[in-house]
Amino acid sequence: MIMLLKKLASLRLTLVGMALLALLAVVGSRNAEIGAGITAVPLVILVVNLLAALLTNKSIRTQTGLLVFHVGLLLVFACIGLTVLLRYDGHVEVVQGGAFDAGMVETVEQGWWHHNRLEAIELYQGEVRVNYLPGLNRQDTASTFEYRASSGELRRITVGDTRAATIDGYRVAATFNKGFAVLLHWTGTDGTEILGAVHMPSFPEFDWKQLTAWTTPAGQQVELELKFDESVSDDRGAWSFGRTDMPYSVNVSLAGKSQRSLRRGESVELAGGVVRVVELRTWMAYQIDYTPLLPWMLVAALLAIVGLAMHFASRYLPASVTASSKEDGYAHVARV
Amino acid sequence: MPMSLAFERQLVLVAVGLLLIATVVPLAGFMLGRNVYRPTAGLYAGVVALLGAAITGRWLREGQGPFLTLYDILLSNLFSLTLVFLLISIFATAVRAGIVVTSPLLLVLGVWLTGVSELSVPLPGAFDNAWLWVHVLSGKVFLGFCLVAAATAIIMLTSAAGSSDRSSRLTPSPERSEQAIWALFFVALICHSVMLVAGAVWAHSAWGHFWSWDPLETWTLVTWLMLAGALHARATFRNMPHSLGHVMVLATFAVAFLTFFGVPFFSIAPHKGLM
Repeated sequence: MIMLLKKLASLRLTLVGMALLALLAVVGSRNAEIGAGITAVPLVILVVNLLAALLTNKSIRTQTGLLVFHVGLLLVFACIGLTVLLRYDGHVEVVQGGAFDAGMVETVEQGWWHHNRLEAIELYQGEVRVNYLPGLNRQDTASTFEYRASSGELRRITVGDTRAATIDGYRVAATFNKGFAVLLHWTGTDGTEILGAVHMPSFPEFDWKQLTAWTTPAGQQVELELKFDESVSDDRGAWSFGRTDMPYSVNVSLAGKSQRSLRRGESVELAGGVVRVVELRTWMAYQIDYTPLLPWMLVAALLAIVGLAMHFASRYLPASVTASSKEDGYAHVARV
Repeated sequence: MPMSLAFERQLVLVAVGLLLIATVVPLAGFMLGRNVYRPTAGLYAGVVALLGAAITGRWLREGQGPFLTLYDILLSNLFSLTLVFLLISIFATAVRAGIVVTSPLLLVLGVWLTGVSELSVPLPGAFDNAWLWVHVLSGKVFLGFCLVAAATAIIMLTSAAGSSDRSSRLTPSPERSEQAIWALFFVALICHSVMLVAGAVWAHSAWGHFWSWDPLETWTLVTWLMLAGALHARATFRNMPHSLGHVMVLATFAVAFLTFFGVPFFSIAPHKGLM
C-alpha cells in the first residue's frame, strides 16, 4: 500500500498531470464537441497525486509553506469537485409587472446532486433602467424587483452590474439581455379571457428587427412586429433603456402579409378570438446560479497563496538562504 | 484643465524615443565593453515619469483607468514593465544585464502603442469593482517579474553559448543570476495566482461565472501551469541543466506575453462589455 502511494505521489506524475491539464484545457475549450469537461481526467490524476504526496512526501510535510500551499490546493480541488456536483446555472426572462415563473427558467447546467428549489423563488419585476453612452456603450444597469426573503418579508432590491440578490440560496443577477414586451389581452370566441406578455427580441441588440412569432390561445401562428414612431436607441448620443411611454405600434401579420397595425388599446380579430394591445413593458433576463462553496473556494485559494508566500520567504529571503546554505551545498541556487 | 490628447501623444512619443536610446546604449556598451546600466536606468526613469504623466492626464481627462482598449493596456503595461524592471534592478544587481533584452522588447511595445488608436471607450458597469484593481495590479506585477526573470535567463543562455569575454561580462556572477531568476519566477507565480483568484471573483460578480473557459482564462491557466511546472521540474530533476530551466522561463514568459497582448484582442467574448 505504501509502495503504491509512493508511486502515486511521484513528482514526475505531477508534471505529466500538469502538462496534460494544459493540453486538454486548450483542446477542450477550443473544441465544443470535446468540451472543457475533458480536463476532469488530468484534474483527477493531480488530486490523487497530491493526496498521495501529502501522505508520503516528507519534504512537503516538513516545510510549512509547502504544506499550506498543497493543502490549500487540495481544498480548491475539493471545492471545484463539489461545485460541479451541486451547482445550478440557468436563465430566465421576467416581464415588468410580472412574476418569476420557475417553469420558464432555461437550465444551462445542473449538478447531479443539485436539489432544484426554483419553485420556492417569489419575485416580482419592477422597473429596468440601462444607461448608454454614444456608440451603444452600455453603462450602469439597474433592475428593481421585489422578492420574498427567507424571513417571509417582501423586500425591494435594485440589482445591476456589481450587485445581485440571493434568494433561497440562488444568486439572481441581471444580465446584459433585456428588451421590450407587448402586453396583449385575448378574448376568445368561447369567452375565455387571457392577459399575457409577448417578449420582443433583445434591445438594442436587435433594435432593427423587433419581430417575433406568436401562437394565439386558439392555435393560430401570427407575427408581431414592434415599431416605434421615433428611434429609441441612439448610436451617437447618450440614452436610457427602460422608458415605455413613447409612441409605438404593433404590426400583426399572417403568413408574412400585414394584417393590421395596432396602437395601444386597439384590437384585431383573429381566428378564434380578438387580440388587443394593452401596453408596452420591458423584460429583463436574469442569470440564476447556485454555487454555495464559492466563498470556501476563495478561502482555500487564498490559503494556497499564503502557503506559496511562506515557502518563498523560507527559501529566498536572505536570512533563510544563509541558514539553509549551512544545511546543504545547494542553497546558493536556492532550490525550490 | 485636463491634459489634451495631443500633449499625451507627445509624452508617449518622447518616452518611445527614450526607449530607442535605451535600446542602443546597452548594445553599444556591450560592444565597447562598458557597463552602461546607470545611464540606461536613468532613461528608464524618464520613460516611467513620462508614461506616468500620460496615464495620469488621460485618467483625469477620461474619468476612468486604463483597463479596456488595446491602447490603454499597452500604455499601462509599458509603464508597469519599465517601472518593475527599474525597481528590481536597483535592488538586485544580478538582473541588471537583462536591460539589453528588456529595452528592445519595451521599444517594440512602445512602437506598437504609437500605431494604435488613442480613442477611449467608456468602461462597462461591470468594471466598477474593487477586485478588478487587485486583478489588474497583480497581473502587471506578475508580467514585470516574469519579464525580468526571462531577460536574465536570456543573458544566462547567451553567456553559456558564447565563450568570448563580452559574453562572460554580461553575467559576472552566474550563481547570483541563477538564484535571481528563480526567485523572481516564484514571485511571478504568487502574483499570477493572486491575479487568477481576483479575476475569478470579479468574473463571478460581473458575469455570474467564476470560470468560463474563454480563451483568456484558458491561456492564463496554461501560463500558471507553466510557471508552477517549471518550478516543480526544477525541484524534481535536481541535475536538470540550467539552460533547460532558462528555456522553460522563456517559454512561460512568451505564453504570458501572448496571453496579455494577443488573446484579448483576437477573442470576441471576454473582458468587454456586451451590448
